[in-house]
Amino acid sequence: MIEVRGLTKRYGSILAVDDLNFDVEPGKVTGFLGPNGAGKSTTMRMMLGLDRPTSGQALINGKPFATFAEPLREAGALLDPSFMHPGRTGRNHLRIAAKTNGIAMRRVHEVIEQAGLTGASGRPIKGYSLGMRQRLGIAAALLGEPKVLLFDEPINGLDLDGVLWIRDLLRQLADEGRTVLVSSHLMSEVQQTADRLLVIGRGHLIADATTQDILNGLGNRQVRVRTPAPDLLFTRLSEQGLAVERVDPQELKVANSTAEDIGNLAHTLNVPVHHLSEVSQSLEDAYLELTNGSVEHHSRKETP
Amino acid sequence: MTATTITPSRDALRPNVSLGQIFARTCTAEWSRLWSVKATWWFLAAAAFVMLALGTIAGFESAARPADLPSQPAWTEVRFIALPAQFALFSLAAISVTADYATGGIVPALQWTPRRTVLFFARFLVTVATATGAGVLVAVLAALTAFTTANSALTLQLNEFPGFVGTVAAVFAAGAAIAAGIGFVLRNTAGALVTLFLLMLVLPLVLRQFGTFTSAIAEILPGSGTIFLITRQVPGMTMTSSVMVLLAWGIGLALLGWLRLQRTDAHR
Repeated sequence: MIEVRGLTKRYGSILAVDDLNFDVEPGKVTGFLGPNGAGKSTTMRMMLGLDRPTSGQALINGKPFATFAEPLREAGALLDPSFMHPGRTGRNHLRIAAKTNGIAMRRVHEVIEQAGLTGASGRPIKGYSLGMRQRLGIAAALLGEPKVLLFDEPINGLDLDGVLWIRDLLRQLADEGRTVLVSSHLMSEVQQTADRLLVIGRGHLIADATTQDILNGLGNRQVRVRTPAPDLLFTRLSEQGLAVERVDPQELKVANSTAEDIGNLAHTLNVPVHHLSEVSQSLEDAYLELTNGSVEHHSRKETP
Repeated sequence: MTATTITPSRDALRPNVSLGQIFARTCTAEWSRLWSVKATWWFLAAAAFVMLALGTIAGFESAARPADLPSQPAWTEVRFIALPAQFALFSLAAISVTADYATGGIVPALQWTPRRTVLFFARFLVTVATATGAGVLVAVLAALTAFTTANSALTLQLNEFPGFVGTVAAVFAAGAAIAAGIGFVLRNTAGALVTLFLLMLVLPLVLRQFGTFTSAIAEILPGSGTIFLITRQVPGMTMTSSVMVLLAWGIGLALLGWLRLQRTDAHR
């Protein structure tokens, strides 16, 4: 269980995290979403006592992380996979971690095998790909079989096999009753794995709900309708106050409506319909809608 | 690379772990951390090479002295060569701290040992003890090398051995503590090495060239303390003042380093 209460972090005049309050519950994969610079990594570092909060606190299993005698048995974390000495071997990296927490060396071999690094563990980390470093970081996080796991962008650099491995692992860890918090910018990935979502923007909590609630609860259902008489339908729908967009010469997209309503209207107008469907909202759409206005760094679209 | 299942926790009923156990484990991990990178071995090899090479030269020079001059203790001859060789071990002490900031290794280190005071003292102790132990060992080997090559022009009087070991140990321990302290304060390898060389060598020698006031400043720099302990020939310095200066710098920088680690974010 992770409890975050009034967590705030200020760097000079910049408010990186602003009064965050949420719980991350055991037995679930909780996705942690937000645009670049939203404060996700800062929040995770504060949970682990790496950064000092300006105010507020984060508790891991009811206590500040820094008070645990054997912290790796309470919480394991993958933050930045580049944060390792490049000259050290992967196995030695894990051995040092194990020694700090009185973890048996056989567990080091277990997590090396679990992470698929058996062949590479004796080589210096500087020869590892990003994906291998991710796997090593995940191995370190699993070392103490902790009750709480935090992963900051764990998919980065992983090949398809690695992505499938991580997806299974996250599910399995949650099914074992562990608390799993995963930040990611890959919406489709989070949509597949997360039971619950925390969305932050500019340091503020924007949403804290189940993935399904976020997908359903934003309204914004869209209907696509294809007809040989789009002008008439467009006019009537607009007259009813609906937001209609023409997506091609014979197809309209209607926001905040249902297929039934559009179908009924077309029937009363005696307009033939060749296609009618509700467009399901993707997490990406929901995320973009939620974080609209909370994006710190915008890129400019070049116009030809 | 395939997924495997993780086993349920085996440590549900683990007994409480005392602070002493945490510290001992952290020291063990720090020891492994130090020896698991090549840089440590390079610095030790450099220190050993310089000390043994200069010990050999000192032995040959002693052998070439006129035979009617009285034999000198090998310890005395070798003590001087600790002056250039010390920097390899001081650099080792500084870099063993700053490397974790250069590589970001401080982030996992503080996840594994989030009690920062424990991590600080374990890292400080292991680093200083390693540099001191290695320095003393190499100095003794250099003295034996000098004795072997001196063709009876040098002696190995055991009654002077404790004094020799004590002096060399004090010089290396103080210098390593200062170097590690600078590393904790600056968190930057280049800055730490430049500061180290300025405080331990350049400023103590240069400031003495510009008059009474700058000489007084030189006397309170740690390099003057180590130079006096090695040579016993620094004007204005005494054994007491040297030891006090080194203690003040060692403890002061350690305190500042601890405060920086304790109060600031892990990797900023």
